[in-house]
Amino acid sequence: MQRDHGCHRIDHEFSRRGFLASGALAGVASLSSPTVAHELQKKQKRVLQVYLQGGVSQLESWDPKPGTRYGGPFRAIPTSVPGMHISELLPHSAQRMHLMSIVRGINLKTNSHHDGRLFMEMGRRAGKFPYIGSVAAKYLMPENAPLPGYLHVTTRGLTDFTNAFLDARYGQLKLAGPQVPANLIRPKAVTADAARRSRTLLKRLNTRFSGRGGQKSFTDSYNASFEMAEKLMARRDLFEGEPDGKDLDRYGRHPFGRNCLLARTLLENGGTVVKVTHHGYDTHAENFNFHLEQLGEFDKTFCMLLDDLNDSGMLDSTLVMIYSEFGRTPKINVRYGRDHWGTAWSIALGGQGITPGAIVGATNKDGTEVSEREVDGGHLFHTYLQALGIDSTAYHTLDGRSVPIGDPTRQPIQELLA
Amino acid sequence: MNLPPPQTPPPPQDPPVPPLPRDLPPGINVTKTHVVRTFSIDDVPLTTCRIDPTGEWVVAAAENFEIYRWPLAGPQSARTILHGHNSWVRSFDFSPDGRWLYSGGYDDRIGIWPLADPQPAPERMLVAHEGWVRWIRTSPDGSLLASCGNDNLLKLWDTRTWELVRVFEGHKRYPYAVVFHPDGKRLASFDLMGVIKEWNIGSGKVTRQWEAKFMWGFDQKFRADMGGARDMRFSPDGKYLAVAGLTEVTNAFAGTHKPMVLLMDWETGEFKKKLKIDSRGMAWGIRFHPEGFLVGSGAPSGSLWFWKLDGDKPFHTFKLSGGGRALDLSPDGRQAAVAQTDRKLQIVQFTAKSA
Repeated sequence: MQRDHGCHRIDHEFSRRGFLASGALAGVASLSSPTVAHELQKKQKRVLQVYLQGGVSQLESWDPKPGTRYGGPFRAIPTSVPGMHISELLPHSAQRMHLMSIVRGINLKTNSHHDGRLFMEMGRRAGKFPYIGSVAAKYLMPENAPLPGYLHVTTRGLTDFTNAFLDARYGQLKLAGPQVPANLIRPKAVTADAARRSRTLLKRLNTRFSGRGGQKSFTDSYNASFEMAEKLMARRDLFEGEPDGKDLDRYGRHPFGRNCLLARTLLENGGTVVKVTHHGYDTHAENFNFHLEQLGEFDKTFCMLLDDLNDSGMLDSTLVMIYSEFGRTPKINVRYGRDHWGTAWSIALGGQGITPGAIVGATNKDGTEVSEREVDGGHLFHTYLQALGIDSTAYHTLDGRSVPIGDPTRQPIQELLA
Repeated sequence: MNLPPPQTPPPPQDPPVPPLPRDLPPGINVTKTHVVRTFSIDDVPLTTCRIDPTGEWVVAAAENFEIYRWPLAGPQSARTILHGHNSWVRSFDFSPDGRWLYSGGYDDRIGIWPLADPQPAPERMLVAHEGWVRWIRTSPDGSLLASCGNDNLLKLWDTRTWELVRVFEGHKRYPYAVVFHPDGKRLASFDLMGVIKEWNIGSGKVTRQWEAKFMWGFDQKFRADMGGARDMRFSPDGKYLAVAGLTEVTNAFAGTHKPMVLLMDWETGEFKKKLKIDSRGMAWGIRFHPEGFLVGSGAPSGSLWFWKLDGDKPFHTFKLSGGGRALDLSPDGRQAAVAQTDRKLQIVQFTAKSA
């Protein structure tokens, strides 16, 4: 089995270059589905993605098998849904599973971080397609959205070109944490009036460039980058000041706790798609000690965020995804680790459009194969979009051609859709 | 003149015959270490093992919920399985007379078992910690049992009543092991971060503390701590403490680190030796041999290492058939049991093979 020590390209900085990179692959994006977008924007729908980077173990989370050959040392505990058990590492989640559902029969047929991540994000096994976050941003983000459509809070991460052929404004914008993003503050020497005049001039130049045969996608990318930066600059207050002490006590004072507090703030203030990455699940060694630590941090923090969304009434209109690029091998290696495993693993979903308290799919006794209702990233991609009210069987319309939004060979998991 | 009849001299007696060398048990010679018995289980790797103080029994735990018992002399077919825990068992100890087996499990409980019963059933399953019981150790006189667990606490239990005698608070991260000093008045503990504490049993207070940061690492990429003791022992005279674990963590999640045994002079508090092995892995077991050297076991390489107390490199290494996750010595020091990743419990002998 291929060993992957984790991602290697670290992008810690929020930078102008990051804005531009996210738009660099925008290509000839001149897309439109105005009818769909207009209808959806009547009621703001949102997405919260919690990405457990590295591949959380399904046996230590959503599909425990205590007492079996590869079950590991952790026990299963009952949840708020009769008959549903999850790992004892998720006691807070267990009390809230009436708000969530589990998909236990995922088979990606890949054990690669890269391929698994792309399949889970794009809904396609190969090719360059927009991530679910970019697609959701495109169809859900209001015209006058106060924040960029797809915000990703992560202390480290891969360089993702998430919008593919979609407009650059739907590309993921990475935030390194709850602090004010670097390069966001206007230099003191540049007055507000000077900045405004500079932007006006830039727009004129862009228009002239396009009018003289320049590639429009370039200027679109630049414009989208500036547009996103302007939005963040206008809401710089969201990043300033220490969070409330009670919130920090509830969420935890660790980076993931602070990042989830920021996610709540962003969603409450007009964020459309907010993704938070929790790192540290690629446990080729000491799987059990590390899951004890990592899920101990994830469980309470995530549940506080879930509670706040639920209490505020936002959960009904927010699709919640807890996912990874794959799971981990049932077999325990000689370092007490579990390796990459895309063959039979699980995710959890909740909120907007999802039937709560369900378990869809199953794995066999030892967790080595899907035994019931096998699905892959394509099925999940359709399911996310259908839950959001987006017709995943429709097409992105490009200049002169169209691209199916979801993989036409896959269908949504109807049992999960409310 | 009549002479008295001559007296018959007594028949000469044979001088005592010294035994031939082949009739003597061979002396300890670790360079002649060899496997004398192999016990095994079917499905999963073993995790730990102990030999009882009488040398009658050997017990082992595995990546399942069972405890396995064999007569040390064998055979494999004499195996008994002890049921009672509902998670993995991490640690064993015994009453000094060998009558009782104690087991610490990841189900938060300590099992108390009549060791020699034909089919031991737990006398009691004691809920000891909130979270895993990581280590247990009997006091020299057998009246107390020390435990440590994922609630970051050390606890002392009365082995007659199983009442809680004292709780020791102070570790900020998981304590991985706790041992009694041979004087019976002090405890030593070692946590995830390499913090070593000496505790006064009477007062419950920390009397000395060290940081063995070289046996811990913070993985910058994954933002996680890696460290802790995998075994810990005092020398019989209480002069030294040996700790098995790891060092030079470069990628915690891939298990990229090296085995290390720390030898401390407990009287002076000096880190006397940092016995690093130049291979990837973990030191899982450590013992002071009665003849004055150290024996360690490691995985995944599968080795037994032998060090002199004043040496820096092993003076001998014995290759195992699988990773050595724990070891224990027989009371006479002639044999060791090793719990291995290849599902075998190997009994090795530190002597030349008998003729």
